[in-house]
Amino acid sequence: MRETWVVGAASNRFGKMTESAREAAARVALEALDRAGVEPRQVGYTFVSNAFGLAEHQGHVGPLINTALGIPDVPSCTIESACSSSSAGLHEAFVHVAGGFADVALVVGAEKLSHLDTLTATSYFATGADYAYETRNGATFPGLYATLANAYQHRFQIPAEAFGSVAVKNHANAALNPHAHFQKPITLDTYLRSPVIASPLRLYDCCPFSDGAAAVVVAAKEAVPSPSAEPLVIRASARAGSIVDMHDRPDLLGLPATRAAAEKAFRQAKLAPSQIDFLEVHDCFTIAELLALEDLGFYPRGTAGRATLEGETARDGRRPVNPSGGLKAKGHPVSATGAGQVVEVFEQMNGLAGRRAVARAETALTHNVGATGGSCSVHIFSRR
Amino acid sequence: MATPSEPERRPHSIEAFVRAYEGGEGLLGFESSCGFKTATWVLVCPKCGARDLQETKLADRGTIAAFSIQHVPSEEFLNEAPYAYVVVDLDGGGRVTGWIAKVARDDELKVGDRVRYVPTYKPGVQFVREAP
Repeated sequence: MRETWVVGAASNRFGKMTESAREAAARVALEALDRAGVEPRQVGYTFVSNAFGLAEHQGHVGPLINTALGIPDVPSCTIESACSSSSAGLHEAFVHVAGGFADVALVVGAEKLSHLDTLTATSYFATGADYAYETRNGATFPGLYATLANAYQHRFQIPAEAFGSVAVKNHANAALNPHAHFQKPITLDTYLRSPVIASPLRLYDCCPFSDGAAAVVVAAKEAVPSPSAEPLVIRASARAGSIVDMHDRPDLLGLPATRAAAEKAFRQAKLAPSQIDFLEVHDCFTIAELLALEDLGFYPRGTAGRATLEGETARDGRRPVNPSGGLKAKGHPVSATGAGQVVEVFEQMNGLAGRRAVARAETALTHNVGATGGSCSVHIFSRR
Repeated sequence: MATPSEPERRPHSIEAFVRAYEGGEGLLGFESSCGFKTATWVLVCPKCGARDLQETKLADRGTIAAFSIQHVPSEEFLNEAPYAYVVVDLDGGGRVTGWIAKVARDDELKVGDRVRYVPTYKPGVQFVREAP
């Protein structure tokens, strides 16, 4: 395998886009290429994710984006893996570049859902679950993670404040992030007063429906030896799968796909969790961040809540988690989320994170889950 | 068409599962040679890889393994909220999901509560609570 880098990454502000996903995707792609000092014509393959493109009456967006970038002859395809779509795209780009099938690959994720009403958007989100055996029985997307939270609370007697501390931390981080959907801190009191959506999860346990676009440029070291920005060495690119139906899994205390992807990633990178400086994890709900930290091997089962309450995962804590604000507060534009996590790593490692900069950014891990864990990507990056 | 030397394989489908619970026949599922039971439609056992899955009727009764009260429902449950979405361990094996009508507060249910499947004209697998 060839040494493979992320040489550029860019995103727009998550939240509400006035333009289409297609337009936003092409715009951030060009910005990511410019940050890398790479011309569009150097791209050998484009991997696009736009899981809910049909909500805009548009499929087959890859060639449209390549055409907008002036490279209509470059091959492209659409990668769909629910909320982990663009990290799956990143994995495909890594495989192509590391394996020598392309020198430069472009990964783009974009989503636009804000023109839909809440009920329709909720129904779209639920399509990542098993319609016949979960959704049809009354599960919403928050409802599925809420059953995980219920099982976790039943087993470990975790106070609501532990979930709340994830929300408060991630909103505080997002308040310093110009890319974030929500740029306002919240208090624990605000969290506790927010209405219950799917017990025990409250409004502030849930990520928002966001529009957004993010792009990542992947290149072989030998193809782009002197990028304009400090490159991220891709130390590991791992994916795993699991039974979609949560109730058919061995237990409800975590996501097996996260555990499997993490194990592969740490083995590939020849690194241990203790060597990771900061993380961007999939916190679609507060419970998801706690489970992720435990499944990834950073905390023993049942202890991530206490660690969060004690500030270990804060931006100035022992190991910052979601300095971007995470899905919870930076936002969750489904297909842009995974690429967006890499944008945060790129900005942290390039000194572009401004007031949300973490103290040490030599190594980082990104964790991106498809729906309730039927699929999962874990990537590990380091500076040269 | 099956020849005498081949084991008889009943065609199964997601639709058959839905028709069975809607029609009051109960919960259809599969049992693998490793003992794994599920209602979820599969062709090969996700646990052991066996293909000799036997169609089986799962129990009507079980205990709640996890639950969540849904206050913001999906489109199909618009007129039901609040209700409980439940994960149920069926007696004799197999874990399924379903819902319980007219539950508004967390303290109305607890993990370990006994429940029973009931046929209904409403969507999904509906359970009712049983007296302790």
